[in-house]
Amino acid sequence: MQILLQSFTKILIPGIKVTIPLTLASFALGFAIALFLALVQVARVPVLSKFARIYIWIFRGTPLLVQLFIIFFGLPSVGIILDAFPSAVIAFGMNLGAYNAEVLRSAIQAVPVGQSEAAALIGMSYPQTMIHIVLPQAFPIAFPPLFNSLIGLVKDTSLASSITVIELFTTAQQIAARTFEPFALYCEAAVIYLMICTLLTWLQAWLEKKMVWRTPEDQLTG
Amino acid sequence: MLEVRELRKSFGNNEVIKGIDLDVNDGEVVAVIGPSGSGKTTMLRCISFLEKADHGMIRLDEHQSDIVTISKKQIHEMRMHMGFVFQAFNLFANKTALGNVMAPLTIARRMNTDRAREMAMGLLKKVGMDQRARYYPGQLSGGQQQRVAIARALASGPSVVLFDEPTSALDPELTGEVLDVMKQLAAEGTTMVVVTHEMQFAREAANKVVFMDNGVIWEQGEAGAFFEQPKTERALQFLRKQ
Repeated sequence: MQILLQSFTKILIPGIKVTIPLTLASFALGFAIALFLALVQVARVPVLSKFARIYIWIFRGTPLLVQLFIIFFGLPSVGIILDAFPSAVIAFGMNLGAYNAEVLRSAIQAVPVGQSEAAALIGMSYPQTMIHIVLPQAFPIAFPPLFNSLIGLVKDTSLASSITVIELFTTAQQIAARTFEPFALYCEAAVIYLMICTLLTWLQAWLEKKMVWRTPEDQLTG
Repeated sequence: MLEVRELRKSFGNNEVIKGIDLDVNDGEVVAVIGPSGSGKTTMLRCISFLEKADHGMIRLDEHQSDIVTISKKQIHEMRMHMGFVFQAFNLFANKTALGNVMAPLTIARRMNTDRAREMAMGLLKKVGMDQRARYYPGQLSGGQQQRVAIARALASGPSVVLFDEPTSALDPELTGEVLDVMKQLAAEGTTMVVVTHEMQFAREAANKVVFMDNGVIWEQGEAGAFFEQPKTERALQFLRKQ
């Protein structure tokens, strides 16, 4: 019991200082990649849409852990040396980009095509239609699966422990090795992951309520 | 004025528009009638470049072009002088009624927001929707949505407004409010091409009737005369079924 209390903050601090920034940075990179891959496919940009398919094929078809190892341990042999943290961000971001590209593509395609036709007929350009009409409606559709992948990512960041990133799980491992209490320490790590994910789940529910195109009744009168 | 010559369109081996000529003079209301599948909607979609036609020429006021080789820029130019009202309304779900009517002005024309809002409110008032300006499409009935869509089509001050079966997606009790707005526009001298199944509307509001069947215009002429005494057997048969 004593060990659990003493180790709690020791595990929580790298959790807050490393796991959360790692998650957010990877997710941001992944989202940017996903948006790019989805847009070039929807707009049928000649070479780039083909590239997007190949990219998605490779990154969805190979294990994340292997991608992580290639970037951190493999790239130095061709002269590209990256620190552990940026390596992890790049690996997670590129992997997530492939999955979320499909999420965003299907969400964009779920916006009724009639609205894009209407936009074109009133003189809006393709980029204007995307920015003002399609993407604002695609985003709420994509939101639950995007958030799913964010929650998945929180847990996947524990893989970064294998390339020497000192994050939440690495710290738990170190303390477990020192105190010979693996069961207690790993359960504790699991609880902290669960806490982070619970907060995110609440955040998701709250945000989803905000994303409905309705004027509240009390604002309609007067 | 709108002028279409020798319009042809096939989907695969199926030729749905077989060489159509259409003339719409300023201030004229042209009702396009005919059985389902006769190519009426496809014709409107070709005129507005939503479908790429296989052959034809189009002229809208001073803009004239071959309908096949027309450039993107020319399409944009012509669309800026057309209004289009869809069967399915197609209002932007992420914008309020007011936002929908302002979009052609603020987004497509980069008009100053205050001026655009003033113009849009004027148009909403015209279609009797000014009290609902802050509602989103999902909060409006079908008839109300279509009235907002008409206001949106009018926002750019088009030379011609194309209506693609504007009341076909509506419950019978909601068609009246939309037809009333259209009759009012007709009376004000708005140039309109209306693909419709509403014979009553064609009879009362149209100056001219175009009867289409099987991708061909069989008959066109003054509305009263057409309904009194159609010249072709096909038109006669069609009218009997109504």
